[in-house]
Amino acid sequence: MKTAAQLQYGEKVKIDDIDGAHPSSRRIIEIGFTPGQEIELVNKSAFNDPLAFSVRGTVIAIRKNEADCIKVI
Amino acid sequence: MSSLVQDKTTLITLVGSPNSGKTTLFNQLSGRNFKTVNYPGATVEYSFSKLQDKFNLNANLLDSPGIISLTPHSPDEKIAVKSLFSHPVLGIPDLLIVTVDSSQLSRHLLLVKQLQECKFNLLVVLTMNDILEKKGFSVSTKNLSSKLNCEVVKTDGRTGSGLAELVSLIGKKLKENNTLAKNTPVPYRINENKESLLNYYKNIEIINDNVLEELPEKNTVNLKKANRQLRILHPDPIAKKNCYQIDQRTVKIDKILLHKFWGLIAFFLIMAITFSSIFWLAQPVMDFVSNVFAFLADEALALIGNNWFGDFISTGIITGVGSVMVFVPQIMILFSILGLLEDSGYLARGAMLIDKPLSKIGLNGKSFVPMLSGFACAIPAMMAARTIPNKRERLLTIFILPLLSCSARLPIYALLLAFLFPGNKAWIAGLVLAAIYIFSIINSVVVAAIINKFTKRIIKEEDDSSFILELPAYRTPKIKVVYNNMVTSAKSYLRKAGPVILVLSIAIWFLTSFPDYNPKVEMQNHTQDEIVQLKNSERLANSYASDMGKFIQPVMKPLGMDWRVGVSLIAAFTAREVFVSSLALIFKVTGDGETIQNSMVRAMNNASIDDTGQKLFTPATIAGLIVFFLFALQCLSTVAVSRQETGSWRIPILQLVIFTVSAYLLTFITVNGLRALGIA
Repeated sequence: MKTAAQLQYGEKVKIDDIDGAHPSSRRIIEIGFTPGQEIELVNKSAFNDPLAFSVRGTVIAIRKNEADCIKVI
Repeated sequence: MSSLVQDKTTLITLVGSPNSGKTTLFNQLSGRNFKTVNYPGATVEYSFSKLQDKFNLNANLLDSPGIISLTPHSPDEKIAVKSLFSHPVLGIPDLLIVTVDSSQLSRHLLLVKQLQECKFNLLVVLTMNDILEKKGFSVSTKNLSSKLNCEVVKTDGRTGSGLAELVSLIGKKLKENNTLAKNTPVPYRINENKESLLNYYKNIEIINDNVLEELPEKNTVNLKKANRQLRILHPDPIAKKNCYQIDQRTVKIDKILLHKFWGLIAFFLIMAITFSSIFWLAQPVMDFVSNVFAFLADEALALIGNNWFGDFISTGIITGVGSVMVFVPQIMILFSILGLLEDSGYLARGAMLIDKPLSKIGLNGKSFVPMLSGFACAIPAMMAARTIPNKRERLLTIFILPLLSCSARLPIYALLLAFLFPGNKAWIAGLVLAAIYIFSIINSVVVAAIINKFTKRIIKEEDDSSFILELPAYRTPKIKVVYNNMVTSAKSYLRKAGPVILVLSIAIWFLTSFPDYNPKVEMQNHTQDEIVQLKNSERLANSYASDMGKFIQPVMKPLGMDWRVGVSLIAAFTAREVFVSSLALIFKVTGDGETIQNSMVRAMNNASIDDTGQKLFTPATIAGLIVFFLFALQCLSTVAVSRQETGSWRIPILQLVIFTVSAYLLTFITVNGLRALGIA
């Protein structure tokens, strides 16, 4: 299954599930990444990590390995 | 603060997510201007104030750091959550005012829901309504109020509209409180699982759909007409999507500022401008301050006369105060630049940019702001490290902060470099100073890498590293915010450093002047000036400081220095900046119509080591001193704050020992190495 870490620029996808086993999963949900939300990869840091996603009308930067716990369709 | 304990005035606590306009509301309600910043989690210290008199409500208002939920992830959030339930000094709040950015309604309602579950007495303030209106939507306060079953009011941070309504609501709420028995909030259950979190959001989603209203079409937007027509075919989903639009200008700017090449160029340029303006902008102001105090010291001596009291006022007090005041310009410049970067939204990008490289050496992108503040002072920097959620990364950040060249070291370098490169070679001094700063960055990074790589013994803690940061939309920095930030930092510096330096100046003056204040000297065949000089050196040779210095002499000798530098170095352990004022006192520098710095350089040129007659200050010993100050942890306040922030004496003691011992050894190597190479 595809995760948010594999997105291309400008690709808009829906969140399917959050991997609850990831240590950052709680904070990721709290900050607004919930199943059903549309997200888009808007920017990458110069070293390709962290990644900046638009979610619920704001931009959140998270590390690649954290984006990996966001399963998308 | 103890007076607050007896004060049973009503307590209102402001709470909200980062960037939800909380501090702006605090300023409006209290009438007292405090820091408002654009970097998530920047409120480290609490602001506290009475409600403005004109509101006619006798209540205290407490600001708190921004939190996303009631489950804290970093130390600053932990403190914020704890203080909501019961503030150690102020007690349980009678009323919570929760700020919610209406353009971020669904995200910010999570906290409101959690607070309601804890049975807090609260009311909701909707902010940033103009941003949502630009997207063509508005929140119905009536619907939201009935859905949440609590009062909701809209305010505008700039115009202040809605404030009167808010104040009357606060009054109403507080009156209800008096008649009803006060509820004690129920602590939030920490063991909340993923499903219950998602359930919150499901509820919030329903509320969100219910309260968001599309604004009636304005003449400017034709697109919406098209949308509305489309909605006949596709009802509903389009509306919600539009209110989740992000600021496209911000995305475009980020494409450049986070770019592989241009982003890094911009980062280094911004850092270079920040540091060089500390030197170039501050220097003329510093010269002016230094001149003013030299003038005052001379005037005082002339007015009171050349006796012990005149000497005390002129050398002990005025020169001492001057040595504190002289860094104020620098601190103000550094903090106004930090404020500009913070308020524009760049700091969050800076943190994101260097997260990857910093994480390789055991730090975090969130170490960026503490490290940047470390160039002003390690104390606020260590407190800023509270925003780092991972304990190991936080401790490592705190560990290396004393290595960054704080502003207290600048006057020392300025003096030493003015000695090495006098007059027309001053531009070299500027370059060397820049090199010193760059070296301090490299130094701290290398030390972090070494500690991270070779030993887990120094920092034992281990937990999951994380970097989650909201990137706020870029905005033009508000001059008022930057100005307040600058003034607050300068004031807190003066409050913290001022008294210590003054007391020490007086102590050093005493130790260098007594017990033999008026020694007998050969009066014949000497001019008046020579007699004064003779008395000065005789007085110092018999002083308490000189006695103390004899103990230090064996330690200082291998460094090619004598007890006078030793005494200054010891005095500098209370705070580095004392080094300059104590050297000034030991060499009995007074203004004589020139700046303190110039007359110190002259006195240093004339100084020689008593028993060998060798010059005390040579290029080798000056270079050695610079190396010493680069490494040594010479600041008792830093040690105290490190103890407070790390929760034990382990780290501050390790810092003190490791940094100071390596400072001594490296100074030894520098001085003797340079001498072996033929540089005296």
